Amino acid sequence: MNTVLSRANSLFAFSLSVMAALTFGCFITTAFKDRRVPVDIHVSRVMLKNVDDFTGPRERSDLGFITFDLSADIKPIFDWDVKQLFLYLSAEYATKSNALNQVVLWDKIVLRGESTKLNLRDMKSKYFFFDGGNGLRANKNITLTLSWNVVPNAGILPLVMGSGHMSVPFPESYETTKSY
Amino acid sequence: MIEYFPLSFYSLCLSSKMINFANGLLAEQIFQGIILASAVIGFAYGLIIEQFGWTVYIVLGGFAVSCLLTLPPWPMYRQNPLSWQPALPETTGETLQKPQENLKKKKHK
Repeated sequence: MNTVLSRANSLFAFSLSVMAALTFGCFITTAFKDRRVPVDIHVSRVMLKNVDDFTGPRERSDLGFITFDLSADIKPIFDWDVKQLFLYLSAEYATKSNALNQVVLWDKIVLRGESTKLNLRDMKSKYFFFDGGNGLRANKNITLTLSWNVVPNAGILPLVMGSGHMSVPFPESYETTKSY
Repeated sequence: MIEYFPLSFYSLCLSSKMINFANGLLAEQIFQGIILASAVIGFAYGLIIEQFGWTVYIVLGGFAVSCLLTLPPWPMYRQNPLSWQPALPETTGETLQKPQENLKKKKHK
């Protein structure tokens, strides 16, 4: 510790170690928090088409169009360890060929500091709701759920499903609209 | 000719209160204390206002203050100068002593 450089070296290394310990402390104070929030989803319109799906070799596939309403208050999830939330709305259903299908219809990134009251009306899906085949027609039960991925400042990235979902049946025939 | 012992030796001597060290050890105590204090304050403040950014800023502030206090060679670190032996004239006995001392230094390092 007799030269400036050795003192500077020791000081810098000590500061970095302390910073690492503080970051771990930040993680440990919020590690076991429950990040679920009630979510309200409502579907207003469902339409079904049978079109050529050029991404696959099959003949024609079912394409669904959903118009939905979404309301949730995600403020309780944000704390000092959360940088942003990645929300996504997914549809789950079963067909004859697959026991479980999951399709993401819409997503949103919510940064810390933005408005946290989600109140969306008459939203159209962002992504195509294709089924590989004809599994959507006359499907009794398609469940829509909102989930989110918590992106922290330090720590694990949990994947949390909101408590609240909506199940809708799809129409029996193509090109017709069903209103709820 | 400066003896360079490992830090554990210093803290051992300090705990037994046998030797009063100056220079580097005082500076080290100062900056460790400042950074730990700023870390505790920063952690508490960040936890209260729910922003980890402030914790980082406070620790960086503590780091800057420590730099200012401990890096330049202030007079307070020169309070207890080591009393060096007067230089001995070059004799054959002296030259025999020197290689042994060099060996001892290298071992401790």
